[in-house]
Amino acid sequence: MKTKKGFKMRTLLGEHIIVAEGLEQVNFNKMISLNESAAYLWEAVEKKDSFSVDDLKDLLLAEYEVEEKIAAEDAKAIAERWIEIGIAEE
Amino acid sequence: MTNYYKVAGHVFGVEIPDANPLCSQISQYEPFTCPAVDSPVFSLVLADSVNDEGKSLVYSGSEESGEPVIRLYSLPDGWISEVAICPGRPISSRLYMSKDFSAGRLQILRPSESLFALNNALMLMFAFRTAGMSTLEMHASVIVNGGRAYLWLATSGTGKSTHSSLWLKHVPGSHLLNDDNPIVRVMEDGHVEVFGSPWSGKTPCYRNEHYPAGAFTRIRRADHNAISRLNNFEAYALIYSSSSGFKFDPHMGDDLHATFEKVVGASPCFVLDCLPDADAARVSSGTLLKMYE
Repeated sequence: MKTKKGFKMRTLLGEHIIVAEGLEQVNFNKMISLNESAAYLWEAVEKKDSFSVDDLKDLLLAEYEVEEKIAAEDAKAIAERWIEIGIAEE
Repeated sequence: MTNYYKVAGHVFGVEIPDANPLCSQISQYEPFTCPAVDSPVFSLVLADSVNDEGKSLVYSGSEESGEPVIRLYSLPDGWISEVAICPGRPISSRLYMSKDFSAGRLQILRPSESLFALNNALMLMFAFRTAGMSTLEMHASVIVNGGRAYLWLATSGTGKSTHSSLWLKHVPGSHLLNDDNPIVRVMEDGHVEVFGSPWSGKTPCYRNEHYPAGAFTRIRRADHNAISRLNNFEAYALIYSSSSGFKFDPHMGDDLHATFEKVVGASPCFVLDCLPDADAARVSSGTLLKMYE
């Protein structure tokens, strides 16, 4: 999968948000709030040509002390969520 | 001759040939007249022709009925903007802007729409040029009460002006600062100041006054009256969606974000669910004015 063009992650008074700022997303009228781990993942993959759910899992394992099974579940959930809200695609 | 105007502390110059009928139509700018300066933030000249060879479309606004249509093109050395009064109508004017929006040339194609074209060109240049100067051109109606400015924000037709009218009628000591396009600026000490402007939609209210921001309030139609405070995330979305400027240009996007964040950090933001009745003004003023008692 890959992130869609035209989105920008920004910091708002200490919180992480994603806003549509590229012309590709001129009609996107949502704003997304990210928690710390989602922001860490987004930053790690947003410039990549493509990444997999496994890549997200490995990133989580590299940064957080979690069991591999939990990391895999979290990675899958966040990938599905990104696609559902339209900021990433297969 | 060149006239100079100072809006929200930013001076710009407008050069219109003396014989042009527009000279007698721009009274809305008079309250903002100021002495000539050597380096205005931008200047606009009326031109017989504008060269737009090699333009490529970068942005086309949504075409809603009754609303002006704006298209923005890029050129190797600047920008072209074309506007029409509403969808389906021929374009009124063509505006060339230099890369940094400091110099503009406006070619009017439909003389009967000259004032519309001039207002649009100046609003566009003002918003784009001052985006990097902690300044926002906002879509709002603004009431002043107790020395503070209260902004009502919503898409057209929701009831911003209506809520202002309710304050004028039911909240003693209120007056209208602007009914459509006030200017909001984060000052050097970090406080947010709200300025009147020569642009006010359909209501002729062109006051050269400014006040510290009291609150930014989103207006939402409902079957009851209730007001609640927005969190930072909701407040950012409100300010973001109510400000002009070209977020799709990376530099302007960075500048606008910095200003949005400062506004959200310094000003209370609310959402008002309301009916168009006197009780709505009682509910909003009860909460908003109380903050400063």
